[in-house]
Amino acid sequence: MALTFQTVIGLEIHVQLATKSKLFCACSTDYIGARPNSNVCPVCLGQPGSLPVVNGRAVELAVMVGLALGSTVQQATRFHRKNYFYPDLSKDYQISQYDLPICAGGRLSFRDDDGVEVSVAITRAHLEEDAGKLVHPSADGRLAGARYSLVDYNRSGVPLLEIVSEPDITSPAHARRYTEEIRRLVRCLGVSDGDMESGSLRVDANISQKVSDGRWGSRVEIKNMNSLRSLERALEYEVKRQRKVLGEGGEIRQETRHWDDGEGKTRPMRGKEEAHDYRYFPDPDLPPLIVESDRLKGIAAVMPELPWQAESRLVSAYGLSDDDAKIFAESADTVAYLDGCIRAGADPKRAANWIRTEVLRVLNEQKIDLATFTLEASDLASLLALVDGGKLSTTAAKDVFDVMVRDGVALEPAMTASGVTAGLVEGSQLEDIADKILAENEEAVEAVRSGRDPKGKKVKFLQGLIMRETRGQADVAQVEDLLRRRLI
Amino acid sequence: MELFECSAADLARAVREGAHSVAEIVEVHLGRMDRLEPVLSAIVTPLKDEARARAAALDIALARGENPGPLTGVPVIVKDNFCTRRIRTTCSSRMLENWIPPYDATVVSYLERAGAVLIGKANMDEFAMGSSTEHSAFFTTSNPWDPSRVPGGSSGGSAASCAAGYAPLTFGSDTGGSIRQPAAFCGIYGFKPTYGMVSRYGVVPFASSLDQIGPFARTLEDLLLAMEVIAEADEKDATCSRALRPDFRKALDVTDLKGKRVGLVREFEGYDIDGPIVDALARARAALLDAGATVVDVSLPTVSHGLACYYIIAPAEASSNLARFDGVRYGLSAEADSLIDLYHRTRKAGFGPEVKRRLLTGTYVLSSGYYDAYYNKALKVVAILRDEFARAFGEADVILAPTTPTLPFRKGENIGDPIKMYMSDLFTLPANMAGLPALSLNGGYSDGLPVGIQLIGPRWGEMEIFSAAAVLEKALGAPRLAGGDL
Ligand SMILES: [Zn+2]
Repeated sequence: MALTFQTVIGLEIHVQLATKSKLFCACSTDYIGARPNSNVCPVCLGQPGSLPVVNGRAVELAVMVGLALGSTVQQATRFHRKNYFYPDLSKDYQISQYDLPICAGGRLSFRDDDGVEVSVAITRAHLEEDAGKLVHPSADGRLAGARYSLVDYNRSGVPLLEIVSEPDITSPAHARRYTEEIRRLVRCLGVSDGDMESGSLRVDANISQKVSDGRWGSRVEIKNMNSLRSLERALEYEVKRQRKVLGEGGEIRQETRHWDDGEGKTRPMRGKEEAHDYRYFPDPDLPPLIVESDRLKGIAAVMPELPWQAESRLVSAYGLSDDDAKIFAESADTVAYLDGCIRAGADPKRAANWIRTEVLRVLNEQKIDLATFTLEASDLASLLALVDGGKLSTTAAKDVFDVMVRDGVALEPAMTASGVTAGLVEGSQLEDIADKILAENEEAVEAVRSGRDPKGKKVKFLQGLIMRETRGQADVAQVEDLLRRRLI
Repeated sequence: MELFECSAADLARAVREGAHSVAEIVEVHLGRMDRLEPVLSAIVTPLKDEARARAAALDIALARGENPGPLTGVPVIVKDNFCTRRIRTTCSSRMLENWIPPYDATVVSYLERAGAVLIGKANMDEFAMGSSTEHSAFFTTSNPWDPSRVPGGSSGGSAASCAAGYAPLTFGSDTGGSIRQPAAFCGIYGFKPTYGMVSRYGVVPFASSLDQIGPFARTLEDLLLAMEVIAEADEKDATCSRALRPDFRKALDVTDLKGKRVGLVREFEGYDIDGPIVDALARARAALLDAGATVVDVSLPTVSHGLACYYIIAPAEASSNLARFDGVRYGLSAEADSLIDLYHRTRKAGFGPEVKRRLLTGTYVLSSGYYDAYYNKALKVVAILRDEFARAFGEADVILAPTTPTLPFRKGENIGDPIKMYMSDLFTLPANMAGLPALSLNGGYSDGLPVGIQLIGPRWGEMEIFSAAAVLEKALGAPRLAGGDL
């Protein structure tokens, strides 16, 4: 009988917390593009005699994630030292959490690509400090072959929240979805920018296979997956590799493997396989961290709406489609903008439609976010009210929208600037426009009058020109009627 | 009376009243240092130029009518594990022989703010591991009462230089007795505050949960003045209390101890203690009774396990604290072919034998499989010891005890026998393990050697200790200046 396999995956996600200063000192966390070793101080450089002091904001952000995942937020927690030698580790120990993580337990539920509900148990989420970065001056940027290495400690001490899942994940696609949901959560909470490419969100995976003949393949840790796509690809590759080895009666070596995105392969990491004894012990420089229940309540009170909560509210309260709701719930800012529009009187579906197509387009083009977007939700609502009231055509409204965004002006001046007036173009104004168009298109007019337009194509053409001249602000029936009279 | 014989309080007063310039005071103390240093070897880095420049600046400020602070013009010396900006900080180790910190320890900046003049950095046992300064990588300091003997350690240079009049106030760190034992050996006051009373920021740690910074002085008033300057909250040290500190010098007004209970630890009776120390304890006991105190027996049944537990916890923390000396960022960096080689060669060349011994012990007791048997068990003993002290302080307001089991020993006498060397911490380390304040004070002299005794108080019970000390100073006299015949 052919063997069957079951994939078992657990994920460790390191989320870089969006605090202004580092976890144990006042240095800036803004290291991207900074001159090497410019955001450093005695503490994050591990200078002898320096001492750590916990950043309260990092604790709050960790608590928010814990509350969102339904974890038990420990009121008394502590930090341990994880001892190992490496040049990017400025003290040759990392301050982390061990037996009392700030968040214990929890659960994350989501729908997979087929719409099936999946639930993954969370083991823990704990605070720890990031290490610096090694820079290898060899040609290929690797350690091997380099005569020396440089260390940049700008990242040293940046706060991380490590979220560890139970091995509940059964496929690479589910691993990707789980990671997407974590990313959505931390973005929505404002806890992290969740950017995998820049390393704000780092995923390590533990993956193994259970074989139908009762064998268990060893657990393999996969590192260096810098995007959701590479996460899924790496795990798919690893599933195939492990199944092939096990299928041929071989054994899986327990090891750490490195995903090579270019080659599309995982490879054993060299020289990192010695068993580590981290000699964890409670850091005597840091007294137990007490999160008082008042503080916990305070954090709970200012928790934003969670993505999955927003998603179901947008469907039930505003009648949005599941797909639209999901797009909006991706970011708390977008949800707030939509809420603002609707509160200012806009029709929910029209507002959702405009934000999704027009607002997000502009944000994309200008590479900005809603925080720096000049058009207030209420301004958009008043523009949409004119459309709803039949006072502005969609075409005209888009012109006005563009001016409002471009010049950062309110509705009235934007309408003046784009030469649009609210309400229908009709009566003598419409007649003047029609006469002008007819005068400019004598050939077409002549063709119609002499009966050479049996299918009415030329009439439609003239009608289109008039509509365009009025920016859609004329009533089509009125235009047709006018043309019929003029072209007899 | 020579200026170097004066107390810090008198010097600060003289400066304030314009009787002496800071330059004059500093010059006299530098001269004292120059004269005795060939015999004592207490200083790793003298700071003559820096001190003279600072004195001149202070004199100008004073001439402008400014009063920079309560220690204005007072020469001070700190142990060479206090980080000093732009001044090398060696910890008496080859590892940091040429290390120049980019920042000041909090205590150093508090002293500077108070107007003190730093005139030197004192010798110590390497990384504060030792009881004699014989484990300094550079040289052994001599006891100013008998240069053939050790000054104690690890803050031996600080104790010897204060006792001999290089400066009226010096500072050290105390992990298991490193202030009190040398204070006893050199015949002066040495105080270890309650854990969390003084900021540890910028003092290169030995064992973070036990280390505490404290002063040496030749008068109680100076000791309390120093405490008022250094015992301040510090947001850079999470273990440093934010509470307000008492006005320590109020204790100087205490003349009687009516209603106070002085505890004697029953378990300490069983130890072999030198006769002159027993006699000094008896004199102190009589003086305290005279002042109206009562004497009670207290019991610390677990105290006999203290030494063993201390030599698990302290090395464990040290093994992690000293990991950073790897040749990558600062200090000694050996020529090497690979990263591992760099670690091996740097640490082999940079650390002395006692440091290596403790790092090996510490690494061992934290290793998986041994953690519970050693480190965790030691922590449990500490918890019990703390409870026992708490109970004892329900029955007594202050405990009177020996500081050391012996008078100052001769150089070389214990160097080959680590256990015997460790035994000199027997009576001091319980206070570190329980986080308690403890003072060593001079209880008299025997054949020209000073005899130290100890007062231990409850947590944050500094004033209990200082009140008893005020009575004892009146009855037994203040310490004498050492080195008169050198
Ligand atoms: Zn820093």
